Parts: sequence; structure tokens; C-alpha cells
Amino acid sequence: MPEGLVIEKLSVGTGSSPGGHPSILSELDLTVAPGEFVALVGTSGSGKTMTALSVMGLLPPRIHVETGSIRLGGTDLRAAGEAELNRVRGGRIGMLYQQPKRMFNPRKTVGNHLAEPLKLHRGLRGSAARREALDLLAGAGFEDPAWCARAYPHQLSGGMAQRAMLAVAMAGRPELLLADEPTSALDKVLERQILVLIDRQRHSRRLGVLYITHDLATVSAFADRVVVMEAGRVRESGPVRRVLDTPLATCTKDLVRASAFPAAPASAATSSRTILDLHRVTKRFRSTRRGARPALEDVSLDLREGEILGVLGQSGSGKSTLARLILGLETPDSGSITRSLGGKDNPSGTAGTDVQLVFQEPHDVFDPRMKLRTSLEAPLLQRRDCNAEDRAVLIEGVVREVELDPALLDRYPSQCSGGQLQRLTIARALLLEPAVLICDEATSALDAVTQRKVLDLLLRLHRDRRLSLIMISHDMNVLRYMSHRVAVLFQGALVEVAPTAEFFADPRHRHSKELVAAVLPAPKAAPAGQHVEEIHAV
Amino acid sequence: MIPFLARRTAALVAAVLLASFVVFLIPYVTPGDPVRKIIRSRVAGDVIDDSAVQALSLQLGLNDPLWAQYLRWLGRLSSGDMGLSYTSRTPVAEQVLPALWITLSLVVLALAIAATISVALGVTAALQEGRPADKVITAVTQAFIALPEYWLAPMLVLVFALQLSLLPSAGWEGPHSAVLPVAVLALRPTSYFTSAVREGVLEALSAEHVVAARSRGLSHLQTVWKHVIPNGLLPLTTLVAVWFAGLLGGSVIVEVIFSIPGMGRLLFDGVLNSDIPLAQGAVVVVVGLAVLLTTAADLVHGLLNPQIRMSHA
Repeated sequence: MPEGLVIEKLSVGTGSSPGGHPSILSELDLTVAPGEFVALVGTSGSGKTMTALSVMGLLPPRIHVETGSIRLGGTDLRAAGEAELNRVRGGRIGMLYQQPKRMFNPRKTVGNHLAEPLKLHRGLRGSAARREALDLLAGAGFEDPAWCARAYPHQLSGGMAQRAMLAVAMAGRPELLLADEPTSALDKVLERQILVLIDRQRHSRRLGVLYITHDLATVSAFADRVVVMEAGRVRESGPVRRVLDTPLATCTKDLVRASAFPAAPASAATSSRTILDLHRVTKRFRSTRRGARPALEDVSLDLREGEILGVLGQSGSGKSTLARLILGLETPDSGSITRSLGGKDNPSGTAGTDVQLVFQEPHDVFDPRMKLRTSLEAPLLQRRDCNAEDRAVLIEGVVREVELDPALLDRYPSQCSGGQLQRLTIARALLLEPAVLICDEATSALDAVTQRKVLDLLLRLHRDRRLSLIMISHDMNVLRYMSHRVAVLFQGALVEVAPTAEFFADPRHRHSKELVAAVLPAPKAAPAGQHVEEIHAV
Repeated sequence: MIPFLARRTAALVAAVLLASFVVFLIPYVTPGDPVRKIIRSRVAGDVIDDSAVQALSLQLGLNDPLWAQYLRWLGRLSSGDMGLSYTSRTPVAEQVLPALWITLSLVVLALAIAATISVALGVTAALQEGRPADKVITAVTQAFIALPEYWLAPMLVLVFALQLSLLPSAGWEGPHSAVLPVAVLALRPTSYFTSAVREGVLEALSAEHVVAARSRGLSHLQTVWKHVIPNGLLPLTTLVAVWFAGLLGGSVIVEVIFSIPGMGRLLFDGVLNSDIPLAQGAVVVVVGLAVLLTTAADLVHGLLNPQIRMSHA
């Protein structure tokens, strides 16, 4: 009897018109042995999540397994009844999701969530369940498990929520963990924490791990094997080193290229002219019902013409406050911001149209009820010298410039992919011919391949238009790839500004060192004890 | 939590004071001289002596500044003195209390029935979304929203009292006389509540944490019971309180049609007979209760939502 998860010739589709519809998954083969760490990699929409949901028997309505078999340790999951599947879910298979905070019932504590699998799969109640819950939370790296058990989801940070979710997933002592992009929404430091925890579980308990991700680099240090998916099919699979070093399929090559960022951009020389000068800027916010917005303390920073400046910082470090100050949406409490844009000094006023912003969530920046053309026209309407035909010409021009088909303009935002929308956000910013583009985590919501393409587009615009860029990000790879200089924000203070190469070779500040260290590949198969210390250290 | 309570209480007091001031102003903005009305209510005969008017004005303090009059009125009100009714010449408070009791029992009964039925219907509709049960429930409740009380009440009387002779057509004697008025009062809230419950449960069903609950091994029913229904019913708490406040005032039509001696009827009589103290007393009590209930609903809603509860901790 084969052990672990064995998927053979699995096809999943809507089943409405046989042969007519393209399947969501076709003829998928996949195995995860006990104690094995398998990375399932592919761009968004390649069928990774559907694979996981097929295994759990939780496919969305109207989507069905059509052919093939899914077995777990000899149990045929396709043939299993609902009662049997309920024992498997949480009892033999644990699951992690991409947005851990949304995966908790907001009105129940972490302890309430842990109690369910403990009761269902292990028959534990009362004080026995409480003890076990605390043990599980401690095992997930919580220094104060009792606090965490009492906490409601909104009190947890993203990283804490994912670790708590891991504790919940482990509560039923599963033999397999399905992790569906559990760290895509987290920064590199937290991502590593989670991976180390998962790795420890698989070594200590022979837990099989199917780790779904779009980022090859992330898992390369932990995975035994990589399975690459595209359009519902497995394109390539093999040991992680072999796949990374000699990728065979085109989509694997794309993924490898996207995750292995070359350091330092091939850049045009920047002029010495300073176009933006922040001098000892301080901005504090009164705390409101939702808590205070991150403040900035005594920040001095300049931006030169044609420069790409990376701003690095974790959430809450004041990155977005900095962007709002530069845009003139906020005024500093003290200090000054001098903008020498468009050739003239403009010390007091707002940035006008010379500084534009690209946001993180492309789906949130367009009115969902407006056609994209209407959304793009809005910034042009205030220009009196521009009639409807001029506007159409301008818009189609910038849309081509961001490498999109103008036919897309007659769609609604929901009919476009995240990558397309992010390009349109950039196009909209370009319409006003800015001198500076601030990209606030502009590619964080995109998968690795799409991210790389958008970054390359930004680099091209930077060269062609002599556009200065401020890249705000928590992603070290993005900053290393794009920026000339890196500025590090930590708890509202600017702790380091250095040329990119110098910064990555020799970060000065304690926090910078931590961030840089997190990007480096992890050592393989370190002893379990060491991992625990590492988690408590970060 | 304490500052949260303090702020809500302050808002409550402010609202009550504002409402009482508006009520206090009623005699000043309505046509006719209240002093003459008072005298007319106490002496027989049509001729009113001007010197009597002067004397009474002085005695009642009507020449004092408005704020002093208001404070005096408020002081009496807070000790339960709502003045004498012009028509019955008895203390208003003695009429208001029994009337309030009747109206409260009507409204509480109607809302309890509405909430019970709507939870059953709304949850069923949501869980059967798009299937026949959902379509029937949604269509019927939507249709009932459009039925006004002043049409429905006579229709029910026609059928159950006159045709079938099952229930009394009017009056307030014993439980059977409450059946028709309660049914009429409950109908529209039932419709609104049902669609609110349906929406709430549907939203709770589509939450991502529901899938996560399934992946912990909970069955569909367990998930619905523990994670969907409790979350889906939350909007109902606020809605019930808002309707409570609304029905206290809105019972006028039902009480008049069924001649039930409740608050609505009292208010109706007070206004019809220009019995200002009676109308004032009835309005003050109804408004005060409404404000109190709305605040209570806010508090309950806050207590049930950990995020609100803890941000004020």
C-alpha cells in the first residue's frame, strides 16, 4: 500500500459540456511521501489552489473531479463519504491559507478555533484540550501561548495569525500539510519564520508538506522536490536543485528568471540635480479609534533627477506616510519639503501633477462600475486644452506604452487580471506626465512572473521618460533589482541610506542586517533545536 | 470599555435633553394660547376674563425666560409630574403608565414573533439560496413589505372577526383581543427582518473562514451552526432595537383601528383634542424609550463585536 498522498491522472472541470470546456486540471500526477516537502509552483491561475481543494474535497460549487484518483495512505479520498472526509480534513490533512487573518472567525478567539479540531479528531475537551492548545501554540513559536489563546484574530499581526493557523492545522496531528501560499502576504523575515516552523514539523513528525507558491526562491532552501504547473497541467517536476539549475519547460524558466533577480540595475546615469528634498520632516498623528497612523520622526532624504530610490520598511514603519507627505496629501508638523519639479522651485505647495502614485492593490484603485476608459479619462478632464479626441489619443498612447491592447479599455476592472490593472494604474499616472512616480508596494500583490514583467516595464519607463522612481517595498529582491540607492525606514525613523550594492554587501543598522539576512537562502536540514532559537531571535 | 460607555451615556443624555426641549416647545409653537386653554378646561362658560389670564400666566411663571421655564418643566417631569390633562383633568402620568404597559406588551410580543419567524425563514432562504424555498420566502416577504397597516388591519378584521367570528374586532379584553393587532404590527418587521437575516447569513456563508472551518473537519451543518448563523444574525440585534423604537410610535394606527387604550391611542387623543399636557407626556415617554433602546442596541452590538469591544478597552 503506497504511503502519503498519491494523485493520479486527476482532471477537474465544470463538467457541463464534456470536451467543450477547457479543464481546470488535466491529468495531474502528484505524490507527497511522508516527511517529504514538495513545492507546487506556478503563476496565479495555473491550478495550484484547485489541486489543494480537490484533495480536501472542498471544491467550489459546480466544479467537480471528473477523472483520476486521490489517495492518502491507502484511503481513496474520491470514493470517501462525507463523514470519512470530515475525519480526514483537519485530522489527517491540515491546511494553511494565503490570508490567515481572514481564515479565522472574527468573533472567536484563537483558543476557540483550536478547540474544534482537538475535540473532533482527538476527543480532547476541557482542561486537557486547553493544555494541548497551549502546547501547540508554544510549538508555533508563541512566547505567551496563553495570551494568544485568548486573542481575537484582529489582535494578531499577519505573521502571528499564520503561526496560529499552523497550530490549528497541526491540532489534529495530520500526516499531510497543504500550505496554499501561506507566506505570499508576509515579508521575507516572517516568511522564513513560517517555513522554519513547517520544516521542523516535517522532520519531527514525518509530516508530508505540499507547499503551494509562485515564488521558487522562497522554497528552494526547504523543498525536496518541485512540481511546476501551468494551465492546469504539470509541466515539470524533479529535485529542487535540478529544476532550479537546469529548468526544462518554458514556464519553469520564466519562474526561475522571475525569482532570481540580478543585483543592481543597468541604469542611466543620474544627474546631480536634486528634485525633491526633505529636510528634518516630522509628522505625527493623533490616535483615532483605529489606532494611530505610523508617524515619521526627523526624516531627511533627497531624490535626484532620474534616480530610482528604494524605500525599505516593514508595515508600520511609516512608508506610506512618507509617500503621502511627498505627494502633499499631508503637511509636515516640522521640517520642510522642497520640490524642484518641472524646473521651478515649489517649496510650499503640493506636488500637483508632477508626482504620481501607484498603489498596491490594483483591484481597489478603479471604480468597479466604470469602464476602464472612463477611469483613465478622469485625470484629463481638468485639462481644458484637451477635447474628447485628444483624450482618446493620449489614453491609447499610454496604454500602448505600458504594453497593453487598447481594446482592454472597454472592459470593467473585474474583467482584467491584476497585472493588467497594475499596468493601467501606471498608465493613468503617466497621463499627467509626472516627473516622479511613487510605487507603494506596487508589485506586492502580483505573482512572481507578473511582478518581474511590471518591474521591467517601470525600468523601461524610467529610461525612456527619464522618470524618477521611489520604490516603496518590503521586498528586498525588488529593491535590489530596481534601485540606485536604498533608504531604510524603521519605526518612523530613517536609519540608513546607502547605494544599493553597498547596502546589500554591508548593511549598517541592526534592522537592515536582519532584513538582508532574511533574503539569503536558509541552510538545509539544520537540527530542530537550532530552529527554535532562530524563531525566538527574530 | 469604560470610556466607550461614558461616551454613549453622554450621547444618550444629550439626545434625551434635546428631545425633551423640542417637546417642551410644543405649546409655544402650536396655535392658540395655552393659558386660555387651561382656563377653558377648568371653568364652565365661554367668556374668559383677561385679568384671570394675567393672573394665571404669572402664577405659571410664563413671564419668566424660556430656559427657566424649561428647567422648571424638566424638574417636574423628572419627578414624574407631567401636569394635568385638559380633557380628563387627571394627572397625565396616571394615564400614561397603564397605556405604556399595553403598548409595550403589544410591541414586545410583535417583535418577538417577528424575530422568531424571520430567523427561521431567513436562515432557510439563505441556505437554500436560489432554490424554490428561497424564491417563495423572498417573494412573499417582499410583498408584505408593501402592505400598509391601515389596509391590512381592516382586512384581517373582515376575515377573522366578521366572516369567521374567531376573534374580536376591537377592544382590549384578554389575550384573544391581542391576536389581530399583534399580527398586524408584526407583519412588516417580519418581512424586513427576514431579508436582513437572509443577507446576513449569505454574507457569513461566503466568508473565507467558513472554508477554513470545513478544512478543520467540521461538517457543513456544524460550520453553519457554529460559524455562519451566529455571525449572520448580528445585524438583527440593531434592527430589532430600531424597530422597537419605531413601533412604539408607529402603533398609533393599529391602536386606533382596534381601539386599544395604549400610548398610540393616548397620543392620538391628545393631539385630536389639543390636550397639550397629554400629548407632551406621551411623546416624552415614547421618545425617551426610543433613545434608550437605540443606545442599548448600540451597546449590545459593540459587546458582540470583539473588535469594537476591545478597541475601547
